[in-house]
Amino acid sequence: MLKIENLKKIFGRTVALDGLNMTVEDGALYGFVGPNGAGKTTTIKMIIGLLTPDDGRVLVNGMDVVRESRKVLARIGYVPDSFGIYDNLKVSEYMEFFAACYGIAGLKARKRSQALLEQVGLDDKMDFYVDGLSRGMKQRLCLARALIHNPPFLIMDEPTAGLDLRTRYEFKEILKDLREQGKTVFISSHILPELAEICTDIGIVDQGRMVVEGSMDEILEKINVTTPLMISVSGGQQTALQILRSHPYVETITIRDEDIMVNFNGDKQDEAALLQQLVDAEVQVYGFVRERGNLESVFMQITDHGEEEVVLIHEDH
Amino acid sequence: MKIINPVYRQESRAGARSFKLPLIVLAFNSVLAVVALFDMYTMITRVRLTAELQYSSFLGLYVFAATVEFVLLLLFIPGITAGSISGERERQTLDLMLTTRLTGADIVFGKLASSLSTVFLLIVSSFPILGLVFIYGGVTASDIALLLLCYSVTALLLGSIGIFCSAVSRRTTMATVSAYCLVALLTGGTIAVNYMVSGFMRMTSVSAEPSSGRMVYLLLCNPMAMFQAVIERQAGTEGGLSVLLPQIAQARETGRIGGGWWLWCMLFQLALGALFLWGAVKSMNRRDRRRRRKL
Repeated sequence: MLKIENLKKIFGRTVALDGLNMTVEDGALYGFVGPNGAGKTTTIKMIIGLLTPDDGRVLVNGMDVVRESRKVLARIGYVPDSFGIYDNLKVSEYMEFFAACYGIAGLKARKRSQALLEQVGLDDKMDFYVDGLSRGMKQRLCLARALIHNPPFLIMDEPTAGLDLRTRYEFKEILKDLREQGKTVFISSHILPELAEICTDIGIVDQGRMVVEGSMDEILEKINVTTPLMISVSGGQQTALQILRSHPYVETITIRDEDIMVNFNGDKQDEAALLQQLVDAEVQVYGFVRERGNLESVFMQITDHGEEEVVLIHEDH
Repeated sequence: MKIINPVYRQESRAGARSFKLPLIVLAFNSVLAVVALFDMYTMITRVRLTAELQYSSFLGLYVFAATVEFVLLLLFIPGITAGSISGERERQTLDLMLTTRLTGADIVFGKLASSLSTVFLLIVSSFPILGLVFIYGGVTASDIALLLLCYSVTALLLGSIGIFCSAVSRRTTMATVSAYCLVALLTGGTIAVNYMVSGFMRMTSVSAEPSSGRMVYLLLCNPMAMFQAVIERQAGTEGGLSVLLPQIAQARETGRIGGGWWLWCMLFQLALGALFLWGAVKSMNRRDRRRRRKL
């Protein structure tokens, strides 16, 4: 559905995108993750043709966004990070206005609007002014608006930002429905646990480059070695810390009561050797396990640009 | 089925709901009615006192009412149009429109049409006030039609300037200020240039005629010069407007354009309006160069 090749964009002296590559398969629910300033919004604006690339290209269904923008835009529904609404229009009028912008008019536009408003749960608000809707309702209206021309590809920029838990949950359910309808959904968000729960694929972008891309399992597999090692000791904690500080594969150490959380950059053999070393030094180890990674930990590790040095942190409760 | 420009339709609908439109119509016609009726009242009072009826003074009423309406249009139109596209940008709805099938030209012409609808509403709603002149005669329906044409060309030019400023500015305040500055440059600026040049020429030559040489053709872009030419065609010099731009009278005598000054003014100003619209459409298509950096 979407293929981005070596995309570059420079604003003055700032490199926003530095050779970004990305592939989104048909029917995927793709989570686009990155810290602030990583280039997420720039990428999205290039996909929808609001910005032109300095280099590289964006292909939607094999069509170049710059050369065939009108054909591409007919296949894309866009939900921006802002609502983008007219306060002095009614909900149904708002929908019909955007239907007309896509060349859909009259009865067809009304029927389509009604069906979409039902889908997002706003069918009872058709005669309400947009101004009177809650934040969550406005966001659902934006989603319905983006679907007015029945696009196969939906792009959403931080759609759940600022929404309460219940609205987020409802929004998530709508996204699942859309995916079941065969639509490809591209969603940029900071709410990582949500993305991990609903997305089939994830792309993590940092400093204008794609750092990791693939399915959730593939990503966890790729970065498994850097998930923290949890060592529980009932005695000899100081000895354990001395060993850990001097170990070449230890990056950071966090102490939580009797547990020591270690960012350990070695493989399984190295882990076994470390355990042996602790036991030989008479440290009473009763737990030695690598925590299962999640999207949040992956994200934090990948986007951490700090100096890699052994740091000792005490977490007080 | 070809549908009406959606931007025009949406703007008209939203505009009709807003309290701004009736307020503008009320303010415009109130000012016009007050000054026209006051002028009429002073004329009639003079007739009562002197028992002398001068029909030329009723023509003066027409000139006065038409001038007041023209000045009001000069003041209103940039304000009405300058926020049209920048307002969309501020509401963050412009990006949404640009991701639909609408082109930059669709948006620009939709906005212009909607703003001009408001202006034409102002003009049409003022007809009863202008109709005061028909009570005593002296002005024909074709004169009114020509005046309407003059207003329409002015509305198109000033509307295009407002839309252009709105398309190139990020903020409505900036767009409004730049639109008024451009209008001031086009009206006051061209007159000032002509006065300076004719003053300089009077100092360096023995001729007492108020001529500014070829600079007088700058006035072809000036809506006030067009209005003067139209009014003088209808009312002679009785209206006293030639005092404002004596250079035109002189140019009519000696220049190439001659008596068709009003027509050339209209053509030039329509072309200038088209140029501003072209600039607005180009600016919409080059939107990413002006975009604020957001990574």
